[in-house]
Amino acid sequence: MICRKCKAPAEVSLPSHNTAFCRDCFAIYFTRQVEKAIRHHALIKYGERVLVALSGGKDSLTLMLELSRLEYDVTGLHVDLGIPVSSSAARAKVEGFCERHGLKLNVVELAKHGLPIPDVKKYINRPVCSACGKIKRHWFNRVALEGGFQVLATGHNLDDEVARLFANTLRWDAGYLSDQGPCLEAESGFARKIKPLYRLTEFETACYAFLNGIEIHSAPCPYSGGASFTGHKELWANLEYTSPGTKIAFYDGFLLRGRPAFAHVEQQSGAALAPCESCGSPTSTGLCGVCRLGIAVAERRAAAPDRQSDPDRQSTPDLQSDPDR
Amino acid sequence: MITVFVEPDNETLTFARHNTVLMLQRRLGLRVNDALIIRGGRLLTPDSRLNDGDEIRIRKVMSTG
Ligand code: SF4
Ligand SMILES: [Zn+2]
Ligand SMILES: [Zn+2]
Repeated sequence: MICRKCKAPAEVSLPSHNTAFCRDCFAIYFTRQVEKAIRHHALIKYGERVLVALSGGKDSLTLMLELSRLEYDVTGLHVDLGIPVSSSAARAKVEGFCERHGLKLNVVELAKHGLPIPDVKKYINRPVCSACGKIKRHWFNRVALEGGFQVLATGHNLDDEVARLFANTLRWDAGYLSDQGPCLEAESGFARKIKPLYRLTEFETACYAFLNGIEIHSAPCPYSGGASFTGHKELWANLEYTSPGTKIAFYDGFLLRGRPAFAHVEQQSGAALAPCESCGSPTSTGLCGVCRLGIAVAERRAAAPDRQSDPDRQSTPDLQSDPDR
Repeated sequence: MITVFVEPDNETLTFARHNTVLMLQRRLGLRVNDALIIRGGRLLTPDSRLNDGDEIRIRKVMSTG
């Protein structure tokens, strides 16, 4: 195969776009897709400061590198979850990457805030991933607010977005379908949330990471019960294989025609938000969910200090039946 | 003989011969954009020819968590 643009030997074949590129022309194509996303959806305005959530995976590091090359004012944020082995490996990848490219980085250590994920798993009777996700979102929002960032960027790619949209469509989740997309405007004390890689597939971000020598953290979290939406992603990979271009058409069609059709549904606004009494994050409950989690973990840790040295015990009957969690 | 290292499974496979990347992908049940096919610091497109003695790295891209 030869590059569609310059006729050099191609390295990346993209049946979805009926094309193939050499590495240099692929870099140009990739940048164009990011610029197009930013322009069409006004993701970043001139002079705004962007906080980029960095997990250490290929998508987040790719996003950070690309935004910095486009000369946006970016700062990375890594949340160190405190999970033995896997968290320190992910953090080392993020720190090494930022150092190599001279990029600014903030690290939040959950252990320093009393909420390392292993303790959340041990003491809180709810699926650890839902608590973990909530804690990560809390810190992304909080660092964005406290650090004066107008924008919070995440590395979600087209496959992530299509799988999520598909799942919500299967449920006809009107709330989701009325307002999701690559840009969630700032409101109630939250920064604007953006997904500049939404036009690029997982394959394309993986190519970018490889071609730019990005070392990624790919070991799965020990608590992960398999990827979310894996079944849907598989289904979509087959659809895309038989009908190239289906993914982006589905997603763009949603933004253009689906979302507007649902827009009127949503206006049932929730309870008014006020700053959390403890940490200042917007909440409708006085004390925000993460501060309440922190208190619950601290209390149970104090009540059962012996369990810290017993890694095999995951949960106890009294906690499992505790209605107030 | 072609040696294939598969990530993230960290599996090493050997094949007597395969003419092209596409044949190798079919053999492993991979669609065209399911994985990066890497040889010596370069990415290979499906039509690329494989040679005896090649060391190929296959990096599956579907994220796992
Ligand atoms: S898989 Fe691990 S890192 Fe991901 S949400 Fe669950 S606990 Fe957190
Ligand atoms: Zn080219
Ligand atoms: Zn709080």
